[in-house]
Amino acid sequence: MPSAFEPRTVAEAAAFLRDAERAEIGVTLSAARLDRVLEHEPGDLTCVVEAGIRLSALNARLAGHGQRLSLDPPGDPTVGACLAADLSGPLSHRFGTVRDLVLGVTVVLADGTVASSGGKVVKNVAGYDLAKLFCGSRGRLGLIARVALRLHPLPAAARSLVAPAGALPALRTSQLAPSAVDLSVPGGLALLFEGAPRAVDAQLAAARGLLDGEEADPWAELLAFQAAALGRVPFDGLDGPEPPFLARRDTAYVTHEVDTAWPPLAERVRATLDPEGVLA
Amino acid sequence: MALAPDLVRRFEDALGPGGVIKEPEQLRVYECDGLTGRRVVPSLVVLPETTEQAQAAVRLCDEAGLPFVARGAGTGLSGGALPVAEGIVISLARMDKVLSVDLERGRIVVQPGVANLDVSRAVEAAGFFYAPDPSSQQVCTIGGNVAENSGGAHCLKYGFTVNHVLAATVVLPDGDAVRLALGDPGPDLLGLFVGSEGTLGIATEVTLRLTRRPEAVRTLLAGFPSMDAAGGAVSDTIAAGIMPAAIEMMDRLTIEAAESAVHAGYPAGAGAVLIVELDGVTAQVEDDLAAVEEICRRNEAFDLHIAADEAERAAVWRGRKSAFAAMGRISPDYYVQDGVVPRTRLPEVLRRIEALSQQHGLRVGNVFHAGDGNLHPLVLYDGAVEGQAQRAEELASAILEACLDAGGSLTGEHGVGTDKACAMPLMFGEADLEAMKRVRSAFDPRGLSNPGKIFPTPRLCGEVPGPYRAHPLEKAGLAERL
Repeated sequence: MPSAFEPRTVAEAAAFLRDAERAEIGVTLSAARLDRVLEHEPGDLTCVVEAGIRLSALNARLAGHGQRLSLDPPGDPTVGACLAADLSGPLSHRFGTVRDLVLGVTVVLADGTVASSGGKVVKNVAGYDLAKLFCGSRGRLGLIARVALRLHPLPAAARSLVAPAGALPALRTSQLAPSAVDLSVPGGLALLFEGAPRAVDAQLAAARGLLDGEEADPWAELLAFQAAALGRVPFDGLDGPEPPFLARRDTAYVTHEVDTAWPPLAERVRATLDPEGVLA
Repeated sequence: MALAPDLVRRFEDALGPGGVIKEPEQLRVYECDGLTGRRVVPSLVVLPETTEQAQAAVRLCDEAGLPFVARGAGTGLSGGALPVAEGIVISLARMDKVLSVDLERGRIVVQPGVANLDVSRAVEAAGFFYAPDPSSQQVCTIGGNVAENSGGAHCLKYGFTVNHVLAATVVLPDGDAVRLALGDPGPDLLGLFVGSEGTLGIATEVTLRLTRRPEAVRTLLAGFPSMDAAGGAVSDTIAAGIMPAAIEMMDRLTIEAAESAVHAGYPAGAGAVLIVELDGVTAQVEDDLAAVEEICRRNEAFDLHIAADEAERAAVWRGRKSAFAAMGRISPDYYVQDGVVPRTRLPEVLRRIEALSQQHGLRVGNVFHAGDGNLHPLVLYDGAVEGQAQRAEELASAILEACLDAGGSLTGEHGVGTDKACAMPLMFGEADLEAMKRVRSAFDPRGLSNPGKIFPTPRLCGEVPGPYRAHPLEKAGLAERL
């Protein structure tokens, strides 16, 4: 009995899910071989990919056109995993998390229905945004098969700085425009500046003076922290009962497990999309 | 249609005497939104002051099986706030308080009736602003912005409403209130809710992200001999890796209309005008500005002007933002479209619009967000001339189809509402729409919350849906449809 089914096309995935018997026996449905770049129009700063492509493979291809997907979670997950598990990294400070970068999605529901939402243009409000709904859905609402993404130009230069954590209020009222701000406790404030070389140098100099920091490259270490974290909670400031060890933008990565049970409304959505509970 | 007197009394008990409008002449104020061609007088209007009052009103609707339509300032352009004849309107106009400001964490909590611009005004002294800036920002409300996922000229860089809403208290169609927040476990219900056009519930409290005012802002106005030349400058700017805060384009017709209305100082005789705004850290803005100037010159720009101060910058934007209203000076009626095309397809779609305009014998003004391919073609017509309104509608539909053929969207920021519900099958297949409806049923199994919006119904559209064309993602995947 195969333990995983790896369709090569969306049609194969749909046919598999339509066949309830096969779906019931505990087979893992994997998008690993749905890994093509379907479209990349550099002038539009968008691409359409199959969900099984890894970030490294996608970014290698985009780099040839001076572009990137501004999403940098630890490791090298697939685009589908980034959506399903809501994975992001330090760049989320400026570019948002995966929900802010996804333009459209094609999913296969538990009954084999293939449904698309959104589109491939950067601006679009037609219909429900199922792409956002599937962010954080952990495979329980359906298989994410295709994803349209917003891209950004690769920066010409990048430099980083580490400052004391106490410099956070000064940073927030400053007009510095870092691409990444991570707050690690203990340790301090890590900042990444990207852009034209002259602008990056100017910002680094200004940040050094304002925040009392030094140039460094803390990112590998911070991503390792993130990868080892057991949970993620809304970040409500450093004065909470348990300071997070890594906080960025709106969330903090913590060393204890957090309740990941879905709210009742989310369960209701799941029940309408997968009434028989085919998807574990 | 009048409601049973005892039901009206129960609404009055729940909302207080000032919270219910029932006189026919007062109800007529609510008969339409910015899409004035469609009008329905509601049976009753209620104006809650608190989440609890909104819940009470929705519970009464649930009990009585009464449809309800939430309404902000009524500036929407897609008929999203069009009332239902046998239903009530829930106006959030009295929920207009800023509840708290937390500059250290860069957030503000507001009630839904707060005007968009008032959010920025509340924090401007501290050097912050609220980024989404729809043209109607002086009056349109945050509740309406959340419902429509409103954009604005600067969303090219800053994103849309959905990228700036951190949490919302939502009254569900059964009257329960839930709090949806970024980072909740499970699927992104907040992201789904923003832009759901009032069909999933009513936001009664919204937490927004505040943005630090950039160190530098520079606004460049350039005149070009043709739309093609201006379009070339846009493409070259993006290709150079420059991300302006806004890139707006206007054609000859809209330039003339805006110029005669507000004297914005646009170059005379231009076939197209570009407004490029750059903001951010000073060194970056300076470098980018020099590059954009060079790009414009290379693309035949004959008049280049950089706003010297805030007053000049305001004048440049006044011309752009007055463009719709200014059309009233050169045409008795106009119809605004909101189609989107991939940026690289702009030149060919603009040529197609020009051909369609000649074919239908009606003028079309183009004023649009060139950076993100969001067109706002203004179809000019005279409703008093027999057949023109009909021709205008046909022309508008043909323009939308041209956008979809190019891989775009029906609507970039105005929403589907009632205006484009019947066109949804042009962009989405039956399975797509069914999946969306299944999601809706988890929120609103009885379909009481803003019925008749987004989804085509036989009553609204007749039995014949338009021809379906493959969704852009399907086309990308070798056009499979199962």
